[in-house]
Amino acid sequence: MGRGLKPRLYFFMQNILDTIRDRQTINDVIRAFLRSRNYVEVETPLMVASPDIEPTLTPFETIVKTPDGSSYTAGLITSPEYSMKKLLGMGLQKIFTLTKVFRNNESFGGIHNPEFTMLEWYTQGADMFACMDETEALVHEVFAAFRHDAGVIDRKSVPDLFRELIGVDLTHASQQDLIDACNRLEVHIDSSDTESDLFYRLFLSKIEPTFADRNIFVHTYPKYQAALSRLTPDGKFGERFELYFNGVELCNAFTELTDPIEQRKRFEEESKTRLESGKTTFPIDEDLLNLLASVQNPSFGNALGVDRLLMVATGKTSLEDVLPFSAKKLFH
Amino acid sequence: MASPNDIKKSTVIRMNGELWVAVDFQRVSPGKGSSFVRTRLRNLKSGKVIENNFKSAETLEFEDVQYKKMQYLFNDGNLYTFMDNGSFEQVSIGKAEIAEFIPYLKEGLDVTVVMHDGNALTIALPQKIQYRITYAEPAVKGDTASGNVTKEAELDSGMKMRVPMFINTGDEILVNTDTGTYVERVSK
Repeated sequence: MGRGLKPRLYFFMQNILDTIRDRQTINDVIRAFLRSRNYVEVETPLMVASPDIEPTLTPFETIVKTPDGSSYTAGLITSPEYSMKKLLGMGLQKIFTLTKVFRNNESFGGIHNPEFTMLEWYTQGADMFACMDETEALVHEVFAAFRHDAGVIDRKSVPDLFRELIGVDLTHASQQDLIDACNRLEVHIDSSDTESDLFYRLFLSKIEPTFADRNIFVHTYPKYQAALSRLTPDGKFGERFELYFNGVELCNAFTELTDPIEQRKRFEEESKTRLESGKTTFPIDEDLLNLLASVQNPSFGNALGVDRLLMVATGKTSLEDVLPFSAKKLFH
Repeated sequence: MASPNDIKKSTVIRMNGELWVAVDFQRVSPGKGSSFVRTRLRNLKSGKVIENNFKSAETLEFEDVQYKKMQYLFNDGNLYTFMDNGSFEQVSIGKAEIAEFIPYLKEGLDVTVVMHDGNALTIALPQKIQYRITYAEPAVKGDTASGNVTKEAELDSGMKMRVPMFINTGDEILVNTDTGTYVERVSK
């Protein structure tokens, strides 16, 4: 037992010290990996005028005041994406940032925490498949640093998963086909469901559970789940992928949408959805739209939850085990 | 009418004419689109457990039930009996209705009994419960250094779980009933 420390305190301290050392290790591995591939590390603001307006997200809101009496509404970033894309528009080719991001209305504990560390990295001139290769290499290096083996990471497209597990061809499926599939598989539906809702119900009940004990890149999502990704040539899917590790979602990546007109359209739709659901809206980031036109097509971007990656790489099952100051400890 | 966002453990939902109690719930958001609440529901009549995902924007019918503070008394192998300490009223609930809570039950434990039309449907446990360690293996020197920082122990409810090395027989500990895991030692 430790010098003069009470046994319980010693146990507690030892866990914190292990966590701090592990966090330093993962940050070092990530930085070394990306620097060796000629990425430039950049810093982006945490407090901005236009945080992400994706309708399911709830940014923390605040007011910025100056001594002359001016005040500005602001939010904490839910991801550094907008700033990162502005830097691409200014001409940087390969960039990454390791930053804190904030999301309100998140549960405490398990695989959620309202403040967490995100790695975002972007490359101009390459698409999501190049990003998948790089992500796989990074994950293997991180696991190796903790003397663990990440194992095989499968790759499957969403249309293939739907064909195999649901028996539906998403390329041609109508809304009625999705309703029929839900009924056939006894998946609960609601009269208000959109095509996107029906898709996600099937995904959540019949597909995601099959990821529980495997590692898999899931790619190519239907266009209504495209988010900020470029569409496939047939216009039916978004070039987006996620990595699931033993059922835990680790990252979300795109071949980025670089068309400012389409981007403005999606922003406007998102603002409308936010208004309808009673959420705060923020001004559209015009600087982003201006710079987006200068970003090369293709370009990829990936957002990876560093705390979650550390959790799986060290064999832990809860974020509290990798956060010295988890929300659960901070807010009682 | 209620929103899926209001679902808690032991919320009773009326769905297709039947009553379902929420055993577990978790909010999920896709990268894009509506957010959902993933639930595990147990049918209060048949005992069947299903997984149901509700969209946050759906409207649900929550059944009007009463939550009564009661104390666990005893069981006869099939029926578990609880008592209201104020009125001395006793109710019994079948083993199947409370299967997942049984390892946590010990005589005198305060629980919440979910009542509906005078019948006890199920119970809800406090989030943290204090137990006495009835047996813990002695700590072996070197265990902590090898990273093996927990060991098996038995609680006064009969339940077994992993606890830190410094916990000894006779210690009192708090257990999180959501996760079934050790929280901390209670100072004597």
